[in-house]
Amino acid sequence: MHVPDGIIPLWLLLILYVVSGLFLAFSIKRINRRFDDKLVPYMGVLAAVVFAAQLVNFPVPPFSSGHLVGSTLLAVMVGPFAGIVIMALVLFIQALYGDGGLLSYGLNLFNMGVFSCFFGWAASLLLFKGMRKAMNDERAVTIGTSIAAFITTVVAAFVLGLELLSVSGFNELALAAITGVHLIIGVGEAILTSAILLYFVRAKPRLISFLKDSDVQEIAEVIETDWATSQEGTKVVAK
Amino acid sequence: MEKETYIKFVIPAVVVLVAIIGITILSGLASDNPDGFEWAVFDFAGVAEPECGFPGIFSFLGEGPLVDVLTGAVGIVIVLFIGLLIFKVTSRKE
Repeated sequence: MHVPDGIIPLWLLLILYVVSGLFLAFSIKRINRRFDDKLVPYMGVLAAVVFAAQLVNFPVPPFSSGHLVGSTLLAVMVGPFAGIVIMALVLFIQALYGDGGLLSYGLNLFNMGVFSCFFGWAASLLLFKGMRKAMNDERAVTIGTSIAAFITTVVAAFVLGLELLSVSGFNELALAAITGVHLIIGVGEAILTSAILLYFVRAKPRLISFLKDSDVQEIAEVIETDWATSQEGTKVVAK
Repeated sequence: MEKETYIKFVIPAVVVLVAIIGITILSGLASDNPDGFEWAVFDFAGVAEPECGFPGIFSFLGEGPLVDVLTGAVGIVIVLFIGLLIFKVTSRKE
């Protein structure tokens, strides 16, 4: 899903540079001073995990391949704002590696960071809320996030397809094709998301914002509350 | 506490990540097929693949599984360090 330079028209790249830049600046402002410095090593490792997972493509027989994006995973673990910051870092290093263009960086950050983090977070939260009535929280967050990761991958591919309609030669049939191939890639995303999340659920459950007594609830808040005086306010994240 | 976290969690995590991508790439398990975007745009829709563009900071090393593992490992360490730096700066000192 990394778009190189020279495909999408410049006007669209510039618009999405501005949009993504504003979201990134707002995300940094939102996470600033909202988490304890003892969490820093874990956040660094999460960024490294997503970068490593994006390095390796799994096959989509017979003609294509895909890789983990990780936005939904990050959004559920540390919230959409910290997720956007991590995706911005990962995508920037990848752009320096030649995977995704430097001019297309804003568009790639919008698709795989801004849009996917918020959409993945919202879909996961809805599924988690529904599923926790039938199972324990750990199982609900793992299954709910995996399903949300699948949906997010397909919807993000559709959004990318809409952007590509601005390219000469890319038509509605190609939009269906890019969405369709991501139905299979989404299954891979869901499997990898559940595998990584399962590890953290068992080894470091306090790093998952949806779970009770999480250390990252404050940074993962989407609706602003006064954390110092209102522990109740954190319930907007997971309850 | 923080030093202990780095020794017990961060360093082993980086070693495991590098090992996983190393084994996956060198054993040929990673796919060389075009990804979903490339397939849909270049193969299916027939859009011309751009020839210009930034080739990447490690393009001078050429291509191959060994180069992919080496540059991947360097990238993991770079992302880790910059990530630690960003989150250190934005964290709250307790």
